[in-house]
Amino acid sequence: MGPIAFAKEYWRILLLVTFLGVALVALFIPGGIVADDTLAAENESVDDNPTNIEYGLGLDGGTRVSAPPVGMTVDHLDIEHDEQQQVATALYTYDYENADLEVRDATVRFHENDNRFSAEIFSDEVTPAEFAAALESADVGLEVDEDDVEQGVTQQTRDEIIQTIELRINEAGLDGGSAYQEATLGGQYYIVTEVPGMSPEELRELLSDRGDVRIDAYHPDEDGEQTNETVLLGEEIADSGVASYDDERGQHYVPITVDNTEGEDGNSPASEYQGAMNDLGFTGEGQGRCHIQDREAGEFDFDPDDPQWCLLTIVDGEVIDAHSMGAGLAENMRTGTWENDPTFRMIVPTQQDAHHLAVNLQSGALTAPLDFDREQTFTLQPALADQFKLYSLLIGGLAVMTVCGMIFLRYRDPRVAAPMFLTAMAEVVILLGFAAAIRMPLDLSHVAGFIAVVGTGVDDLVIIADEVMDEGDVNSRRVFESRFRKAFWIIGAAAATTIIALSPLAVLSLGDLRGFAIITILGVLVGVLITRPAYGDILQRLLTDK
Amino acid sequence: MGYFDVPEVEYTRYSNRQLAAVPLAILAVALLVLSGSFLLTGAPVQLGMDFAGGAELTIQTTSSEGEIRDAFDRAPDSIQAIQAPGVDNQYTVQFAGIDDSEAIQALSTQAEQNLEADGDAAIVQSESTASASFAEQTQRTALLGIAVAFLGMSVLAFLLFRTFVPSVAIVVSAFSDIMIPLAFMAIAGIQLSLGTVAALLMLIGYSVDSDILLNNHVLRRSGDFYESTHRAMRTGITMTVTSMMAMLVMGIAAWLFGVELLASIGIILFVGLAADLMNTYMLNVSLLRWYKFEGVRS
Repeated sequence: MGPIAFAKEYWRILLLVTFLGVALVALFIPGGIVADDTLAAENESVDDNPTNIEYGLGLDGGTRVSAPPVGMTVDHLDIEHDEQQQVATALYTYDYENADLEVRDATVRFHENDNRFSAEIFSDEVTPAEFAAALESADVGLEVDEDDVEQGVTQQTRDEIIQTIELRINEAGLDGGSAYQEATLGGQYYIVTEVPGMSPEELRELLSDRGDVRIDAYHPDEDGEQTNETVLLGEEIADSGVASYDDERGQHYVPITVDNTEGEDGNSPASEYQGAMNDLGFTGEGQGRCHIQDREAGEFDFDPDDPQWCLLTIVDGEVIDAHSMGAGLAENMRTGTWENDPTFRMIVPTQQDAHHLAVNLQSGALTAPLDFDREQTFTLQPALADQFKLYSLLIGGLAVMTVCGMIFLRYRDPRVAAPMFLTAMAEVVILLGFAAAIRMPLDLSHVAGFIAVVGTGVDDLVIIADEVMDEGDVNSRRVFESRFRKAFWIIGAAAATTIIALSPLAVLSLGDLRGFAIITILGVLVGVLITRPAYGDILQRLLTDK
Repeated sequence: MGYFDVPEVEYTRYSNRQLAAVPLAILAVALLVLSGSFLLTGAPVQLGMDFAGGAELTIQTTSSEGEIRDAFDRAPDSIQAIQAPGVDNQYTVQFAGIDDSEAIQALSTQAEQNLEADGDAAIVQSESTASASFAEQTQRTALLGIAVAFLGMSVLAFLLFRTFVPSVAIVVSAFSDIMIPLAFMAIAGIQLSLGTVAALLMLIGYSVDSDILLNNHVLRRSGDFYESTHRAMRTGITMTVTSMMAMLVMGIAAWLFGVELLASIGIILFVGLAADLMNTYMLNVSLLRWYKFEGVRS
């Protein structure tokens, strides 16, 4: 038999062998099929993981928190570019019944792609009716009623949130964390954050910090009354460093650099800050005159007896530190040279505060807060995850052994049963290889899928075997082919129904179940297209004694 | 050990009415159970934390079950010790139907404060929580998923056979295959979780397998009705019983190991497949026989 004739005769088996080979390469050769873009990560995992399979949260440990962003949107606003700021101002200055919005709580965006404006409010204390009224109060001729208000925020806002969260996870020094969004039926979106090695409480805290940092000047006004004035906003900070400690002075701080690029009016945030410091007396009479903070007790006294010049570090509206300006810095500001190298230290009471501040400064503020009243969390200790890995292997093994035992009992003929068992296993190997190749992180639900695949796989092989061996011996190729085709009709029909039954799960966001559905559907496809036809060929070879 | 063989059933001894009566009666009982449970509790089956909001904790502690029960400010729905090889002092604690998301978040703190640690191991080994509104969302999504799956399956059945009675037979027995395990869950007190929903959807696939096999043998092949039925049964029962055994083993092993997702899938599929055996070879066969011998053919 020439090689071409051989290939023609056994193409189904050859196809199976090829797929098996590729799957094994993907599974066991480090780097395997995957391009080497993540070689570093690959090297780390090689040590403790003999295969290229990646494990998800459910088999590797970690924490996942899903929560929707808080907010409402009105889309397709009929305004011009020069009215954008006016509308935004109207939104946060409007007199809401239960809410007192700040600048960060409202935004008006222009979407370049489809040339439209949208307005958002990030608060759950504003009613849709109030939102509509606030828009109309902007005095640019908008007509909005509460039916135009949609729950949820825009895609841009969600992208910003995800970006901020990813920065925060990285800042916190955690590898392998990720954030993404997931759509629900009602068109709502959840922001999902997954981090290994963090408890739900810690992760929730990381996510619930809005991370809005500013500096207020607390100083006496002309009448000698103490007053507050915001002198530096978080977005005016160009760069910030890591949490640091000054041994000499015993201070925890984060070094920051203020933005000194000139704006439209010729002033940079740095020069404005410098100017404010000089005007308000922080660099002169106020130097060293700030005693409102009791560092031991962590309390502030905002009713001081004598005039105070304090710089307040405020995170999410809460004062975390108050201090006066140092002599060296004041000197530079007075002479006006500071703005050329606009750096200073943001001082905070504790190391933990410094750490939080650094993370918040680096990642910027969350555009919209997340609603933890509607959250879902999952967390798993790595130790238990290892147990689960072992259990899944055990449970899978037991299920496969049962199947194997049943088919041997039923057919009593190893020529039929052994290839049946091997084919079913080949299916699992191909699927595992596929999962490794596309770097699909495996979870418990996928394991359930693998077991379901073995189940349906063996069902179909039983159909093929029975059909082919029906009505006595198979003595010619033609008889075999015709019977095989009949069997294939049933298998195809059954596969189609399984795929239809599980496809809603593969697209709907039902958490755990998606993995199960995807693996089962893939398994059915691999089975029908590759492994089950090959089993037919093997059976033919064994039964027709050619 | 004896070999596993499929017995030949003498269908000629029973009338169609007799054959269909048993599965239909069981379906009626199942529906009665489900509607009774719906009237009593507001849901046909008990909803687990995935669908009602709540928490599931896996804890490792040397405290006793009674102490675990008292450690939380609300009573857990269930506490189950995990009996895997080499594992001691591990328990799964479930809470369902909590509306207050802060109460849910507080549960793991309560566990850490009130329970004795087992050596160096963390007390809360795993925690899964869903707030009430998240759960409600999940519930709606799952219902839609099941409805779409069932509808798709029905349409496909009609497309495959293009005749009314055999297609209806497939749809009716698939419906019954889902209702009977649901009723079993209501009686056995198994909560509806994402795992059980997956099992129910899998059942649609499995159930149709054996129905298609039977219909195909009877309708699309030449030969005597009883002969065809017997051949279909030989293959079909082998398939279903093999799957049943695999699911039973998986269900029991996973239950002992405390792997809840796999356990519920295994147990529900086992019950559903048993129902499928009955539905296919009593209800479906009788409908097909009626169609073959007495039905009006277009």
